[in-house]
Amino acid sequence: MEPGGSSGVGSGNSGTYTPEIAESLRFEEEIQSLIHQSFDGSSAAGGSFTALLGLPANQAVELLHHPGPGEPPASAASSSPTAGDLWRLRLGEHHAATDALRLPFGGSSTFVERAARFSVFATDDSPASSSGGGLSPGLKAEPPDSDSPPTLPAPAGRPRRPSKRKECEKSKAKAVAKKSKSAEENTSAVKPAAEENTSGDKLPYVHVRARRGQATDSHSLAERARREKINARMKLLQDLVPGCSKITGTALVLDEIINHVQSLQRQVEFLSMKLAAVNPRIDFSGLDHILSAECGPLAVGSGCGGGASGTAMWASDTAASTGGIRRMPPPQQIWHLDLVHPQQSSTVWENNGAAHPHFLLSPAISLVGYDPAGSVPLNSNQLKMEL
Amino acid sequence: MISIDTTAPAKRRPKPSPPENEWRTGAQERAYRSSLLEALRAAGERRASGPRAVKEAADSALALTARGQSRWSRAVLLRRRSRLLVRAGGRIRRRKLPRRRPVGPTPGTGQPEGKKVRDRLRALGRLVPGCENLSTVSLLEEAADYVAALEMQAKAMRTLADDLLAAAASGNGRRAEG
Repeated sequence: MEPGGSSGVGSGNSGTYTPEIAESLRFEEEIQSLIHQSFDGSSAAGGSFTALLGLPANQAVELLHHPGPGEPPASAASSSPTAGDLWRLRLGEHHAATDALRLPFGGSSTFVERAARFSVFATDDSPASSSGGGLSPGLKAEPPDSDSPPTLPAPAGRPRRPSKRKECEKSKAKAVAKKSKSAEENTSAVKPAAEENTSGDKLPYVHVRARRGQATDSHSLAERARREKINARMKLLQDLVPGCSKITGTALVLDEIINHVQSLQRQVEFLSMKLAAVNPRIDFSGLDHILSAECGPLAVGSGCGGGASGTAMWASDTAASTGGIRRMPPPQQIWHLDLVHPQQSSTVWENNGAAHPHFLLSPAISLVGYDPAGSVPLNSNQLKMEL
Repeated sequence: MISIDTTAPAKRRPKPSPPENEWRTGAQERAYRSSLLEALRAAGERRASGPRAVKEAADSALALTARGQSRWSRAVLLRRRSRLLVRAGGRIRRRKLPRRRPVGPTPGTGQPEGKKVRDRLRALGRLVPGCENLSTVSLLEEAADYVAALEMQAKAMRTLADDLLAAAASGNGRRAEG
């Protein structure tokens, strides 16, 4: 934590860091001085700040322990309460604040960001000191830059801003974001306009709600692209879940998706119960033998091992052919020979194998339904599962 | 317009085919069936015939069929492993994902940032295994893959169960005959 040596900028300050309130006061004074330095005549910009911030300025001022500047008239002196307001408006708003203040302050924009961050943390107490400590070294560097033309530090401030913004975002609470979200949108809307304006000289702040374009800011471009990615994924999900295409509104669509996932999971549970009920009657050790040997030993555990072996054959076929070739007539012949009940099933197999040579699993299908009499409906039922 | 490649390759996996179509192919279903049977067999060997064991086997088989390309499949597989291993301090189970907040507070259109939407996204994250605190983008992606996989799983299990039951029934009849 920075010792209180940073007496700093402009007005004589206490430079003691211990009380955060004093720190914020110091910042405000410094900003005020900076404002007066470089911004005497541009009261319009100051007024635009207040107009930009509107009502919150008042509240923010009261929140800050800043007794002096009260209401936001359109004057340069009021820029300090607006500056304080800007600090109070957290998260992305400090982003806009820096943009707004970038006009007059130039390099001190980062200083304002830090001040904003600091004032936010003033309520949190703990990070305040560390951030305050971090701020002051830069603080000393600020005043020399304040006199430089704002356009020059402005581009420099711009790349810094996103990183700082991200830091701020990470460290601040979500609730804060929620609260200031609407204001963020406003400020982010005005921000690009500000940037366009600062390309020239210190133009007054034009309240152009440039929501549409936003092409100048790489940050908002990223936002836009991310938003589009999200929408694309949502569309994918909507197509996947039946009955979601008609629904409008993200929340309802998500509701439907959640219901669908839950119903699918329930189905899987139910089916697993069903399979578990069937399982005890199927000797899977028999399956194991068959799969490993692939010679269809006749010793299948239970009478229903036929069914099990059928599925085993089916599984073995898939297992064998996962290597590559999916259509292997030889396995079909092998099965013809190596069945559990060859005398009964061979005919069925040959029939079905001949009939459906292209169906990889048709022998297996016929295996499972190895009752020749009832094989036809059974096969059709099981063929369905392959499709 | 500044063309910024925001779909940074670092964050984006190459997706040759849309996940849901991938799951619908017959090849996937067959692959799943084989894995399922194998898993069921293994469960039977382990004398674990409860429905829970069956479900876990089925889920593991499903995750296996997913080839570990999706987060949920990896999470499911690791869930099984960690039951055998001693949870390894939770380190194996949960890869530290890039901890973007579930719904990053970003200015822009207020689309996924409403309170309701956020809640639902979180609920969805809880439903999909291994996707609890994931960014919105990844969450939706995983959810799509998971839904497709679940559908395939349900379909395969249903047919398998029906076949087994039918085969068992006919097998019983056959056994009665001799």
